[in-house]
Amino acid sequence: MPSFNLFQRLSQAPTKPKAAPVARQFDVADLYQGPIALGAEGETQARPFDEKLRQAYFWIVNHAIISPHYDIEYNDGPSQTYSVGDSRRTLNLPSAQSYSSFILLPLLTFATRRKCLFVGGPGRGKTASALLMGVLAGSTVKEVKRAMQHGHPQMTVADLLGNPLPADLVNAQSMDDIRIAWRAWLGMRVKIVDEYNRIPTRTQSALLTVMGDNYAEVLNHIYECPEAAWYLTANDDQGGGTYQVIEALRDRVDVTVQALAFNPRFLNELLLRVEENVRPEELVPPDIIFTESEVDQIGEAIRQVGIPDAVRRRLEFFASQFELFETAGGQFEYMTKDTARLAGADRGQAQAADNGRDRLKDLGCQTLNGISVRTLMALMIYAKAMAYFRGNGEVALEDLRQVLPFVLHNKLQPDPDAPFFALPENAAYRSDRLGWLRRLFDLSNDEFNRLDLDRDDPVGVLSAEFDLGLDGVSERETLARLNRIEKLIAERTKGRKLYGPLYDDLLKLKYLHQRYTNYRSWLRSQ
Amino acid sequence: MISPAFASVLASGRAQFNGRAAEARRRFPALDMAAFGAFLHDGVDPLVLAVAAAAPERVGGVTLAAYDMALELVGHGLAGPAAKNPFLNTVWRELAPLFAPLLATAPVDVLGMLSNAAIHIASVAGARPAQWQAGMAAVAPQVGSVAQLRAVGQVLAWRAGVAHFRQGALAAADTLPPALALAAFDEPGAQWPQVHAQLLDYPWRGNAEGREFGSFSGLGGDFGTPPQVRATNDGFIVRSAERHYLLVADAYGAVLHSATAQEYEQATTGMPSSVRLDGATVHVGARSIALDLPAGDIAIAANAHTLAITSPWTHAIRLLPLA
Repeated sequence: MPSFNLFQRLSQAPTKPKAAPVARQFDVADLYQGPIALGAEGETQARPFDEKLRQAYFWIVNHAIISPHYDIEYNDGPSQTYSVGDSRRTLNLPSAQSYSSFILLPLLTFATRRKCLFVGGPGRGKTASALLMGVLAGSTVKEVKRAMQHGHPQMTVADLLGNPLPADLVNAQSMDDIRIAWRAWLGMRVKIVDEYNRIPTRTQSALLTVMGDNYAEVLNHIYECPEAAWYLTANDDQGGGTYQVIEALRDRVDVTVQALAFNPRFLNELLLRVEENVRPEELVPPDIIFTESEVDQIGEAIRQVGIPDAVRRRLEFFASQFELFETAGGQFEYMTKDTARLAGADRGQAQAADNGRDRLKDLGCQTLNGISVRTLMALMIYAKAMAYFRGNGEVALEDLRQVLPFVLHNKLQPDPDAPFFALPENAAYRSDRLGWLRRLFDLSNDEFNRLDLDRDDPVGVLSAEFDLGLDGVSERETLARLNRIEKLIAERTKGRKLYGPLYDDLLKLKYLHQRYTNYRSWLRSQ
Repeated sequence: MISPAFASVLASGRAQFNGRAAEARRRFPALDMAAFGAFLHDGVDPLVLAVAAAAPERVGGVTLAAYDMALELVGHGLAGPAAKNPFLNTVWRELAPLFAPLLATAPVDVLGMLSNAAIHIASVAGARPAQWQAGMAAVAPQVGSVAQLRAVGQVLAWRAGVAHFRQGALAAADTLPPALALAAFDEPGAQWPQVHAQLLDYPWRGNAEGREFGSFSGLGGDFGTPPQVRATNDGFIVRSAERHYLLVADAYGAVLHSATAQEYEQATTGMPSSVRLDGATVHVGARSIALDLPAGDIAIAANAHTLAITSPWTHAIRLLPLA
């Protein structure tokens, strides 16, 4: 007779009930479903993997990591809100199933095999959370702990990757004869690097190769690592570690989550652990352990989740806001923040030469950089993973809105001198980067709505027309299209200030114009 | 006072039993130890006694299983003097001891199945828990295995009014020895293949009158406004006070499930050619049934076996067999 499992109980499926399908099937076995757990009857049904993922999430939030912070809020209809304190901050009571980012984002990282950085003060569960992910992948707690890399100031490349065997070093006639004792963690499906900002810069570069290219190299010997989810932790990601984290390594991180403070109202949970002498990571229910093939299948299913055009357009519009820096380039294509950065230009001077745009309205003025391709890809993957986790086949705008701040956390650098941050109501966004990023996305969506781009997007129409292909398009039609593009450019540039989305639209129109021009030349040569 | 047999087992494992109770109190902060004590006396003791008589060597194991389960059930507020529905107490006290030989071999399965089934049946509006208990008690001497207990419980749950279990229960009945299956249907002299075929063909076998379902929610019924009904293959989609339901009915009972507006829109209206409404009288083939409803505005929906009759003047739905 098993004793009560205080920590191993799983939420009853489904954890996210959906409207019943129209075709109904009643199961007589429901008669024996109830609070008493019966022995398996050989009729255990395979759960869909999204359900398994949700069960893993709910087990972790209910029994393992005490993180009662529902900061990923979903609403189904109106929600109750309260204005609290002198600052009149909003306390929202979400009307739909909401989640704790500190658990959910690492879990989505596990499902998509991406790279997650935990930041936050000591003792807030960063390492414990990473450890749990290792256990979910089927390793024992001991294995995960032994394979975990602990960053320290004396860490060498050999410490990180492996040593040549001493006997071979003496006897070998060539490099090929030297065998390498690779570190065990390189073969793990969940890789954990604790306090990565304490690793010396040279060793960080070796780590970068493993993180970026998934192989390790020592003395011309290569170790190909399996696909893995990565978890890194840092007490302070703003330069407070022993060494500065190299930019490229930081850029490899797909998502950043912050460990929030412990709420003493949950002290009884800690007391229970003390009294029962249990560690949740040692009691992970076998039902939520994922095999390698299951994670493969989940990854495949996540990639199949669709992003509707309407949602994609909003992301395009948002991403368009940030790269333009009008005074940085003489040529149209080079008017970007990256041009200014590469040249090491004085940003203040360049801004002073700006031509009087509405610097409050222009979201691009709030950041020092734009959004990279890698970041956009991570954003789409996490949005898909979020939709999959919620049991949906398509990404909703809210899915994108919820994951966006965590993906852009380390990527989109705010400009503290921007007028936006000088407004008293925005002062908190100087330190609350997640809140600022979410606000940024909301402002972008407001602008999208104001421009009515869902219904009136002439560049989108021209682009869709081009996407249908050029097969059979006559010269006359080509000329008509070229004419439409030129007219649209003339119309869009007439007396307007240049904002990010317009800049990208103009570049897109230029691209289309060029393609049609080439096609017209080809037609004439036939 | 509990029986000496039970007291002796509790005394022999006192530390262990106390430890389990302490652990359960952490898991169920609302666990009332007085209520648990009362349930031990009222619900656990009789079955421990019954097992002591049938298989004395298994008393320890059965007691341990029953004790843990009792903690869980009382912790959930499902058993004991403060239970929301007393049916579970009755099942432990009166029904479970009848399965003592089976309890001795598989205490967790038998007690778990009986408990879960009792909770389930008690939660289905319109089901008749007492009938299920009586039926189970009647067949108890013939039940020789956990599998048979499982199947016979399902069959009797259907017969006790859980109408949506019809298909599954018929399949379960087929796994039973014919004598036991016939006993479950209270037709000991019949031929099982024949009974099975009739049950499969006709949901209203043995009930020519049909049944009336539903009443005003203000009086404890199901519908806030007089319901409107449309037919589907599974039953009828009902709309009342902006809410939608699926009504599944047969000879043994009628059960309401939640449904959606979309399902209501997709369901069909109208009646078969064999049905004719003449004022307040329905003609089904050669039969004529006078309705105690005002003529006019009477609505009829029908599926393959059943006619559902509603009127804006009543919250009840009349369900009539079509054959």
